[in-house]
Amino acid sequence: MAEGKLCNRKTVDTKEYLNALLADKSGKQYYKEMEELDVDTDKLRTTLKASLKSRLRTWLEICAHCGMCADSCFLYLANNRDPEQVPSFKIQSTLGEIVKRKGNVDNKFMRMVMDTAWSKCTCCSRCGSFCPFGIDMGIMFGYLRGLCFSQGFVPWELKIGTGMHRIFRAQMDITSEDWVDTCEWMAEEYEDDWPGLAIPVDKVNADIMYTLNAREPKHYPEDIAEAAILFHLAGENWTVPSEGWEQTNLAMFAGDWAACKMQVESVYDAMNRLKPKRMVGTECGHAHRSTVIEGPYWAGLETGKTPVKSIHYVEWVAEALRTGKLKIDPAKKIKEPVTYQDSCNYIRNGGLKDISREIMSYIAEDFREMSPNREHNFCCGGGGGFNGIGRYRQQRNAGLQIKRQQILDTGAKLVISPCHNCWDAIRDMEEVFKDGIRWSFLKPLLINMVEVPEHLKPED
Amino acid sequence: MFEKILFATTATPACDHAAHVAFDLAKKYNSSLHLFHVFGLPSHGFGQQVTDVRTGKADDYGTRYVEAIKKELQEMYADEIGDNSDYQIESVIGVPHREVLRMARKENADLIVMGAHSRQEEPGATRYRSVVGSTMQRVAKGARCPVLIVSRPCTTCLWYFSNIIFGTDFSKASYSAFLFAYQLAKEIGSKLWLFHALDISAMHAGKTLEQDEIEAQIAKAKQKIKDTYVSQMTDYDNYEIDVLEGIPYVEILKYARAKNGDLIVMSHHTREVDPEQALLGSTVEQVVLRASCPVASVNRPDKVADLKLTPQADATESEGG
Repeated sequence: MAEGKLCNRKTVDTKEYLNALLADKSGKQYYKEMEELDVDTDKLRTTLKASLKSRLRTWLEICAHCGMCADSCFLYLANNRDPEQVPSFKIQSTLGEIVKRKGNVDNKFMRMVMDTAWSKCTCCSRCGSFCPFGIDMGIMFGYLRGLCFSQGFVPWELKIGTGMHRIFRAQMDITSEDWVDTCEWMAEEYEDDWPGLAIPVDKVNADIMYTLNAREPKHYPEDIAEAAILFHLAGENWTVPSEGWEQTNLAMFAGDWAACKMQVESVYDAMNRLKPKRMVGTECGHAHRSTVIEGPYWAGLETGKTPVKSIHYVEWVAEALRTGKLKIDPAKKIKEPVTYQDSCNYIRNGGLKDISREIMSYIAEDFREMSPNREHNFCCGGGGGFNGIGRYRQQRNAGLQIKRQQILDTGAKLVISPCHNCWDAIRDMEEVFKDGIRWSFLKPLLINMVEVPEHLKPED
Repeated sequence: MFEKILFATTATPACDHAAHVAFDLAKKYNSSLHLFHVFGLPSHGFGQQVTDVRTGKADDYGTRYVEAIKKELQEMYADEIGDNSDYQIESVIGVPHREVLRMARKENADLIVMGAHSRQEEPGATRYRSVVGSTMQRVAKGARCPVLIVSRPCTTCLWYFSNIIFGTDFSKASYSAFLFAYQLAKEIGSKLWLFHALDISAMHAGKTLEQDEIEAQIAKAKQKIKDTYVSQMTDYDNYEIDVLEGIPYVEILKYARAKNGDLIVMSHHTREVDPEQALLGSTVEQVVLRASCPVASVNRPDKVADLKLTPQADATESEGG
């Protein structure tokens, strides 16, 4: 059965394979090989049999084709209400078809399925909350991505991304040494301005174990320093693990189920090893969904919960402001109109809508809600891996229009976006549309707003 | 004096003068030179796409791309490199100031040489994390070694420097800058001008200061220069002390011009670079962009403390601008 050197059904478990993929600029050879990649129909049939359970089978069958999901999908709205962008059509014509044909599909079909699964759905699950039967196409597309991955039909960047997780237990090539060194570096760089600032690594029994996104040590380690500063100001007893610090999970976007499990287990191992009272994750949506919400099930934890209580960064911020661990200088509150990007993964799918409003009530004088908002908010336009895939750049840019209009309608020029994916999408939006919109995580804004206790100020 | 020099270039003509100084210094001090260029900004999340800092065009990252950039750098600086063999060329992707600082730390550089890296040159870089503040400003703030910023042609190269201007605000960071200025002046045998600008704009906004009050403060500052710095100098008397009132960056520039300064040494430790308020940048940035001579920014003792001077008890007290 024909498989390519780069594009195949194998997983990326060696640096050699990973480097070969990276050396293939823009995935040119990879996608060329994909055109020749045979579908292992026996394997597909077996996988379906083993993993397509009653919930998904029922959903596929009971869909009434009423079309109520159409207007719920930002990609449908952004693409001139193209009928092929109606969520029920998208899933019926892909997963539905594979099931109907009992896995007997060909290469061309699978390539269409891949393009649909990654460029026509961000797994934001907004459709699920509008379907009269509660059918969640986002969940089904997540499943479909798994089928695609097992057959080798996965976008180049995600084959790389999940390979990174398999090899480094991080979405980028950051080793444990790199990571620990970055912590030392940031403490060094910021200790003059914040006397006593430290980033404790592998401290046992701390109150908080902090986990984050590999892009922080890779490209903007300031974010780590900012997290440290806020924990420091709040007087928290905290630590980071030397291993198991990566909270994100591109394997989830890729549909690499085995790697999903490996990744979250590395974090759970750190929890078991360091025994913190709880874990706080960085400002990231899918990291929360994968490690805190879905991960325990991947790892087969019977409680359905992480080994220690785990919260999103916004929950920690709200708590710190509520209890007075962090105090906002009233004169430094955000005065200009400001809006908040509800990340699908921890708002709609994680229930944290009120927490974010609570934060805004402490820090902003003119908070403007987008419309719709909270659990009904639209995806930023770049979720589920959409942002990072070059093959679908045009489709992604087209999809950004809905979020853009939502933001423009608020009149705010500043968007607070405590999610790396949303943050990226809004940055790219500005690159494409040039509206003069600024975007920020909470951390840098908070540092400019909080009162610094006398004893924590530098002498100089 | 400088075992390792990191020359951080934008690979544009804006850094030509800095290149000249960097290579000259390396030759003079037998330093190994690290020619470093951050060529692309990562973008689009975890994707492989980067935005070329010079062209603004997006392309996918790849080893061949990096090799092409390195080859281009080799050709661009062929004349400066000449027969120097103790150098290496490296080019990476990332946020420029962050990667320059990372490399300086990794290589344990004794000196960073860079061009002015003005904001106009790199709109993309400043936008990346939605931060305002140039690469130069951020490198100057974060580096543990002196940062020499060259934005204009430097006809007299470092070992010909005959007038070094040291501008102080009496901060702890300024003391490190002093050590560097003094060490350099002594080594080269140049004159050291110890200067402080009394910031009357910031201190007394909305209030007119009596002249005798200004004069009293000037006298006080002069005494402080003697106590803080002059007291630390041994076998060296080729210096002069001056204090003038005004807006610090203007006064330093005027003073440097009046004294034919060929190097300005100062610290840059602005604690808070608020994007909204720091549009004009810090004193250092203003001086760099306007001075006709190179400016060295020194903020930390790591690479300048080997003079083994006795610690100065009063050096941490801040006053004036």
